[in-house]
Amino acid sequence: MKFAIAIKTCCLILGASILARAQTTTVDNGSYRVETIALPKGLTGETGGVTFMPDGRLVACFIRGEVMTYEPKSKQWKIFATGLHEPLGIMAVSNSEVIVMQRPELTRIKDTDGDGVADLYENLADGFGLSRNYHEFAYGPVKDKEGNLYISLNTASPGGKVAAEIRGKYNPLGRDMKPGVYEMYSVVPYRGWVMKVTPDGKLVPFASGFRSPNGLGFNQYGDLFVNDNQSDWVETSAMYHVREGRFYGHPGSLVWKKDWNRGTPYQLPIPALDSLRTKAAILFPQGIMANSPSQPICDTTGGKFGPFAGQMLLGEMNRDRIVRVMLEKVGGEYQGACIPFLDGHGLRKGNNRLTFAPDGSLWIGQIAFGWSGDLGIQHIVFNGETPMDVQNMNLTRTGFDLTFTQPLDAKLAVDPANYKFRHYYYKYRRKDVNEGADKSEQMDLQEVPVKSIKLSSDRKKVSVVLPALKAGYVYELKLGNITNAKGLPVANKLICYTLNKLK
Amino acid sequence: MFNKKIISFIIASVLLAAHAKSRQQEPATVIELSAMPGLKFNVSRFTVKPGAQVKVLYTNTDDMSHNLLITKPGARLAVVNQALKLDENGPAMNYIPKSTQVLWSIPVLSPNQTKTLTFTAPKQEGVYSYVCTYPGHGFTMYGAMYVSADGKMPDLKTDPNIPPSAKNDVAADKAGAMAMDHSGHQMNTPEPIALHPYDPVAPYLYRSFMDDASPAAIAVCLPQDLAYCWDAGTCRLRYAWAGGFVDNTVLWKGHSDAVSKILGTIFYRDNTVYPLRIGDANAIPIAKYKGYRLVNKYPEFHYTLNGADVYELITPKADGNGLVRTFKISGTDKPMWFVTNPGSGSEVYEASAGKWDNGRVQLSAKEATEFSITLTSYSLVYDAKRKKKP
Repeated sequence: MKFAIAIKTCCLILGASILARAQTTTVDNGSYRVETIALPKGLTGETGGVTFMPDGRLVACFIRGEVMTYEPKSKQWKIFATGLHEPLGIMAVSNSEVIVMQRPELTRIKDTDGDGVADLYENLADGFGLSRNYHEFAYGPVKDKEGNLYISLNTASPGGKVAAEIRGKYNPLGRDMKPGVYEMYSVVPYRGWVMKVTPDGKLVPFASGFRSPNGLGFNQYGDLFVNDNQSDWVETSAMYHVREGRFYGHPGSLVWKKDWNRGTPYQLPIPALDSLRTKAAILFPQGIMANSPSQPICDTTGGKFGPFAGQMLLGEMNRDRIVRVMLEKVGGEYQGACIPFLDGHGLRKGNNRLTFAPDGSLWIGQIAFGWSGDLGIQHIVFNGETPMDVQNMNLTRTGFDLTFTQPLDAKLAVDPANYKFRHYYYKYRRKDVNEGADKSEQMDLQEVPVKSIKLSSDRKKVSVVLPALKAGYVYELKLGNITNAKGLPVANKLICYTLNKLK
Repeated sequence: MFNKKIISFIIASVLLAAHAKSRQQEPATVIELSAMPGLKFNVSRFTVKPGAQVKVLYTNTDDMSHNLLITKPGARLAVVNQALKLDENGPAMNYIPKSTQVLWSIPVLSPNQTKTLTFTAPKQEGVYSYVCTYPGHGFTMYGAMYVSADGKMPDLKTDPNIPPSAKNDVAADKAGAMAMDHSGHQMNTPEPIALHPYDPVAPYLYRSFMDDASPAAIAVCLPQDLAYCWDAGTCRLRYAWAGGFVDNTVLWKGHSDAVSKILGTIFYRDNTVYPLRIGDANAIPIAKYKGYRLVNKYPEFHYTLNGADVYELITPKADGNGLVRTFKISGTDKPMWFVTNPGSGSEVYEASAGKWDNGRVQLSAKEATEFSITLTSYSLVYDAKRKKKP
């Protein structure tokens, strides 16, 4: 039977402190430990957003509409706001004000009377469409140096409908009803777009071509990156460097491009769409690295979180994994490698939102919401022991340079058997009739033999020479028995480099 | 006597032979198993006899890809994690790890594809899991094959071998009528599940999807067992109801179209084109939603009409038979009109200021700086009277 959720009135504890009862659990992997944060009683921990207020309190929003603060020292949770519609992102403005992306609107939420509970809910931006389709999620916001906010708008799912009463103009060209083809759609404005909200409150279409852009973030240089989820038109999940006016590949959103006059974009020839498209900076091979990448975040801790300062981390929803991204600019464009940062060790799945605490620990908000995930909040703490890991992977003219966090055992480091390369590429294409939504094909999958290996004099950098490199391919590397001088094996052995441009 | 004995012996032999024959030809247990949208199977558990022939017809009715593995008892999570550890080899191996804990498997199926798996059930009684090990799926997408001679399974609600979401899904339970009877006898009322880390006490609200409103709806729970739907997409009260608030069960599950389901009876709908006019009694003003402020926990909505600021606060009528709508309008020197439902006999309106004319109240800009409209519902008055009768 179903539990009818009839709501009754009784005593009010809104705003009262709630001390979490459950114990914190900890698992240590040598360099990092994963701790689980106890949630307050009654909270369903479907976490839509996490961030920190200037005073060091965590502030998080949850699917059932709550915004709550958590004081890490006293472990006290407090209600800040309630009643929001599926909030999936949060930004702290001050100790008494947050901006939340909820389903219909970007909302400024403020405690104006100083009682610790929000009383003012202001509409910051709602000039985008809603068809009431369950998949039209809204993500963000993140703020650039000029004070602009960025949000992203999910396309609608063929598994859901368009309601009789919608918000925004209806455009049937944003959908192609080809029978049997699984395709997300954009029949109301700006579905599949990244939008900019200027400091004076204007909502500006910024970039198009997204399918499920669940997560925005800036790198250390202030460049905007957005992760998109694999499926139709997105052969494998990807991280895009997002720039104004660019198109990133999922066609439906193009109907909302100013002066669009080319009909249903789904029916344009693939080469025509491909020529409009900006390629991903990073591809996350499906079923191998990540299937549902979420929010990317730059390690701005300056070493408090270990040796990866300046690199980006992101959550993976489908398994117990945080992914690390190593970007470099080649030919003026970002590309680079992804590698698991942490698998397991008590980390759960559903890793949806990331934020760094003032002490440099990484906090993770988890979600399921009908998919495969977990609920709650965990954090990862660096314990000061430098992990044995790949620090960086850089393209050379003849292969790759791999830099490690520690000097290597020289004999193992130059053994070709410890470097298994494969290459493959993903085709930009629409789904076939009756093809699975999460089917993903590795084209021209081949093993790549290593020609030569050289170790640097400090034994931290390995230069690998491969046969002629091919642009447009993922180079996947599986490390074998690589250890530091004391025999400690490399922690993460699978690395995928997205080679868009040759050096 | 002798003859009798022989006859009984012959009868017994025939019966035994017939029995042996029926055992040999005992048809395979056929299980029609489907992968369903929302990472689940249509069947959460079933029973087979030890050593029985089993035929699983596996169809993928979802739009995602799914495989199927049957594992040794207690091995599901280990197998799911082995599949994740396949790393770069996962796609080519259909995410099926080479493991002695995997008894049988079907590779990844595309939507609408069907494959058959035939096997002899283990002689060892026990609970064997079936699971999809496409990355991430196996944590929620699994079920239980009970190998048992007597076909008994534990109560569905407390069965630890099925996903939590299946514990209330009697339709997916292939235990048959017996188990259903069993759950039917369970008279214990379920523990109330807390909806929130706070006690929802009227007045409070949910922004949500609701029927008969734009997708930017707001459900507000009021004291006096009243509630209303205010639409931030169109800046107006849409309807009000009595006798309950909303059920968000399906909405909060995610992964499907859903609305906040109204509990109770709607006693009022605004059927006007738009209830407020500025400057021109017949022109529909342009509305823009600005937000709300909580005043004694009641939301006071803020929107603009042709640029003039409107604040609207809705409270229950003291006797519980209707609503009081208080408007504060500023930033205009033009007259205002409040328009009621045309030809409505189900409610009556009172205005704190202004002049009535043909179902409309006209107010000067000064009067409009603060006025209230009290709506009394005949059906609520009637219900209240009926309740008072002994």
